[in-house]
Amino acid sequence: MRDNPLYNAVLDGDARGAKAAVEEALAIGADPQDLLSSYMIPAMDEVGKRFDDGEYFVPELLISARAMKAGMELLRPLLAETGAKPVGTVVVGTVRGDLHDIGKNLVASMLEGGGFKVIDLGVDVGPEKFTAAITEHHPDIVAMSALLTTTMPGMKATIEELTRAGIRNSVKVMIGGAPVTRRYAAEIGADAFSESASGAVREAKSLLNA
Amino acid sequence: MNSRQRFNAVMHYQRRDRSPIMDFGFWDETLVIWQEQGLPKGIDPDRYFGMDPQWITAPVNVQLCPSFDFKVLEDRADTQIVVDNEGVTKEQGKFLGSIPRHIAHTLVDRTTWEKEFKWRLDGHSLARFPHDWEEYTLKQSSGKRDYPLGINAGSLYGWIRNWMGLEAVSVLVYDDRRLFDEMVETIADCILAALKRALASGIQFDYALMWEDMCYRAGPLLSPRIFKETLVPHYRRITQLLKEHGVDVVVVDCDGDITKLLPLWLEAGVNTMFPLEAGVWQADPVAYRERWGPDLLMIGGVGKRILAAGTDVIDAEVERLAPLVEAGGYIPTPDHRVPPDVPFANYLHYLRAARRVWGNNLSNLAPMLSNIQPTSSGADDKFAWHLG
Repeated sequence: MRDNPLYNAVLDGDARGAKAAVEEALAIGADPQDLLSSYMIPAMDEVGKRFDDGEYFVPELLISARAMKAGMELLRPLLAETGAKPVGTVVVGTVRGDLHDIGKNLVASMLEGGGFKVIDLGVDVGPEKFTAAITEHHPDIVAMSALLTTTMPGMKATIEELTRAGIRNSVKVMIGGAPVTRRYAAEIGADAFSESASGAVREAKSLLNA
Repeated sequence: MNSRQRFNAVMHYQRRDRSPIMDFGFWDETLVIWQEQGLPKGIDPDRYFGMDPQWITAPVNVQLCPSFDFKVLEDRADTQIVVDNEGVTKEQGKFLGSIPRHIAHTLVDRTTWEKEFKWRLDGHSLARFPHDWEEYTLKQSSGKRDYPLGINAGSLYGWIRNWMGLEAVSVLVYDDRRLFDEMVETIADCILAALKRALASGIQFDYALMWEDMCYRAGPLLSPRIFKETLVPHYRRITQLLKEHGVDVVVVDCDGDITKLLPLWLEAGVNTMFPLEAGVWQADPVAYRERWGPDLLMIGGVGKRILAAGTDVIDAEVERLAPLVEAGGYIPTPDHRVPPDVPFANYLHYLRAARRVWGNNLSNLAPMLSNIQPTSSGADDKFAWHLG
């Protein structure tokens, strides 16, 4: 894999290199889906692994996600033509009362890099807004972030609202954020928890058996 | 033994009568909620809770000077859109402890750096010192000071992160490393110039205080490699100057999991970690001392969650930390501002346990729960420092 220029460009966070590699590959007739699934997503998987291993940090995550995005801008219209589907769709947002968006943005970038379609609801998102987005977009997963112990209850309130609205079983719920723990996720009935952006991709794929 | 002697004794592993009793402050919401639980209104928390003199620093401005003009752009129901003193347009809660959401930054590239920021980082500017600096100097040099006095020593990464936003500074280190390095060097030059004048005044500072907040639950926001290449040499310049003037306690305020950066800070002469945020990664001052030995000084480390958990858990933690407090080089405080889910009764229980076990219940502890109204006395010695 390391001898493939597209894989290397994404892994090294080289956006121009990724774009050039996609253009060159397409010019010689490469299959867009193959470029995505054989090189770009594996490169982002490796980025996540290196992050987990303490070899990559936030800057390296971000430049790799940017390189992925540069390549995807060329591939997306071609993939749409062939009817190729994303790995899954995820609605993300920071819960009500919380304006913090850095962690949520990192998770969104990494999910996109992992082949997911991401619908970002932003910050200070109340249960009713999550519910409306789920009804509208029919995502596979809803991912909630909270920075503060005082805003964490917004996650529980959202899950309760999904249950009240009768759509809890139609979507998987994933949570994360500085004070959030696996135990808290279990307590409030979330399906998954991640303590990092790269872990969120892994958990999301695991939820969908992707 | 006065507060200054006690602070210096503990930070140099010398004999002392007791530990300083200090805190990190409270969320605004916490004090309001505590008022419903018995906290009198209108009190000065430091005095009410019987804190030793704490976090007092000289009125030397090492930051952007002049700062940007603060403006309210839009007043919403629960939030405001403002331009802050660092040129950041952000949405901030009117009554929320949440970190504000950055919307736009004045600093985006080399052009804005040179046009809007560089000139505000002239460390020689006399505007960095109050008009009565000479008078202040005379007063502080008299040898009568009975409390520890610090000097602000700035921030080499945290400020840039604030000015640009995390995502922009993160990609900058790859897109234009020269600019990033230049920013760090310019800031360090500014801090050094201001510090030189402050240190030449003859005031004997007891500690220096830096702020970075460059870690989170998964570790540092910047790789240790880049940290070492770009930041460490400038930390070293600052700590060397401080050391030449007898300041050998250099505190860095950094939330999050600092484990990967800690040895590099020590290498650079930044030797006091604060607030040792326990967090879900279980930072523990006892484990840190075992791992890094006595060269590592520490302030903080009492988990917020422990304060919320209940009296038995609080008592156990106070007792657990007691041998480390006794050994020296460590002042226990809550590991961040106390959040509103800590009951008032729990905090009082914690304070009483701390005063009994770490403070040896001595009569020289400041009185607790005395209903002293806010006062401006001593304010001339204080300079607001962002403990974040």
